[in-house]
Amino acid sequence: MAALGFGTVTARAHGFEAGRFFPPTIQTDDPFATDELSFPTISTFKNAGSPEVRNTSAGFEFDKEIFPKFAVGVSDDVQHLTASGQKTVTGFDNLSFSAKYQLWEVPEHEAILSVGCLWEVGGTGSKKIGADSNNVFTPTIYYGKGFGDLPDALNYVKPFAITGTVGEDIPTGGESNNLEWGFAIEYSLPYLQSEVKDIGLPHPFRDLIPLVEFALTTPENRGGGPTTGTINPGVLYETTYYQFGAEAILPVNHATGSGVGFVVQLQIFIDDIFPKTFGHALFGKDQ
Amino acid sequence: MKKIPQIPPRWRGSLLGLLVLALPAPAWAHAFLDHAEPAVGSDITQSPSAVKLWFSQELEGAFSKATVSDAQGQEVDKNDAHLDANDKKLMEVSLPPLASGTYTVDWTAVSVDTHKTQGSFKFTLKLKS
Repeated sequence: MAALGFGTVTARAHGFEAGRFFPPTIQTDDPFATDELSFPTISTFKNAGSPEVRNTSAGFEFDKEIFPKFAVGVSDDVQHLTASGQKTVTGFDNLSFSAKYQLWEVPEHEAILSVGCLWEVGGTGSKKIGADSNNVFTPTIYYGKGFGDLPDALNYVKPFAITGTVGEDIPTGGESNNLEWGFAIEYSLPYLQSEVKDIGLPHPFRDLIPLVEFALTTPENRGGGPTTGTINPGVLYETTYYQFGAEAILPVNHATGSGVGFVVQLQIFIDDIFPKTFGHALFGKDQ
Repeated sequence: MKKIPQIPPRWRGSLLGLLVLALPAPAWAHAFLDHAEPAVGSDITQSPSAVKLWFSQELEGAFSKATVSDAQGQEVDKNDAHLDANDKKLMEVSLPPLASGTYTVDWTAVSVDTHKTQGSFKFTLKLKS
């Protein structure tokens, strides 16, 4: 590759800390400010209510690294709401924007801490589906920790990793402030095979990352009600150019909903498919 | 006349994305360790003449490297990490005869599209007395 010489910046992209690949997770956001495209994310779940409303949605999210370790993103989804005895409604939810910065990293301990903010733009979605007319800002802390630095006596624990977020919903209208919090516990078979012990797993099993995600909302005032949320066990399948994820959606309580839903997602590794366009900051040199 | 359904503008870009996925992609991507000799985390009874690392993508030899260290952190390889002349996905580094013990292989792989990955694993040599 003639263009590659001393001082050439290597493309970074993807979420790596040393030998640990942190996959993009579905229900909670990962702590990396990199180029990402998830499309589509399709889910269905029956929300609590009288009557209960089944929400089936399809959405996307696109994130782009603007400056080294600083990325912005945009996301939206279309929702299809059905309820017994009521007219089915379909419409787009509010557009959301995000900004994220990787604040602190310790690669030898597979650790990362990032900060950011989400902005749900009120009034940009369909009133038919109940899209909020007020803006909601959610400053957020993102974290990630792999357990590859454990003693060798705990070799088979090393493939575990945890990522999570803690954010505060700040609405501009009369809704409650909410604590938005969640985390994902994952066990990386690719990490086991390449960093701990080759146990002879064939493809595609060695490309799987089983995980369970917890996504919760705790209202803090204005009669917002109890904590609601979901527990989402599933698996991610990693390939060279995309990740496919599938999770069940289990309500943590009756206030959340009933029954079991599901979500599937295709994460496209645009930094690998288009390495000249994605995988590096728009401005400035990757560090 | 029956109206032909139109694809909403918001979805056209999405369909383009799916079409791109269906097209054959060039061999560019992050290089991940596929397998190694000695195998990751293995126990062996004969001193290997080299550590061989097979990756998922072709590498850029000038920027990829591998080292082998003993349990005290001392590098023991011959400092000649290189790509196989016939297989750019294979990187190897030569070793002198080793004593029994646990060794750590540290590798850095830069794929031909400049994506960088790195990793580390151990193997244990137990020579037959």
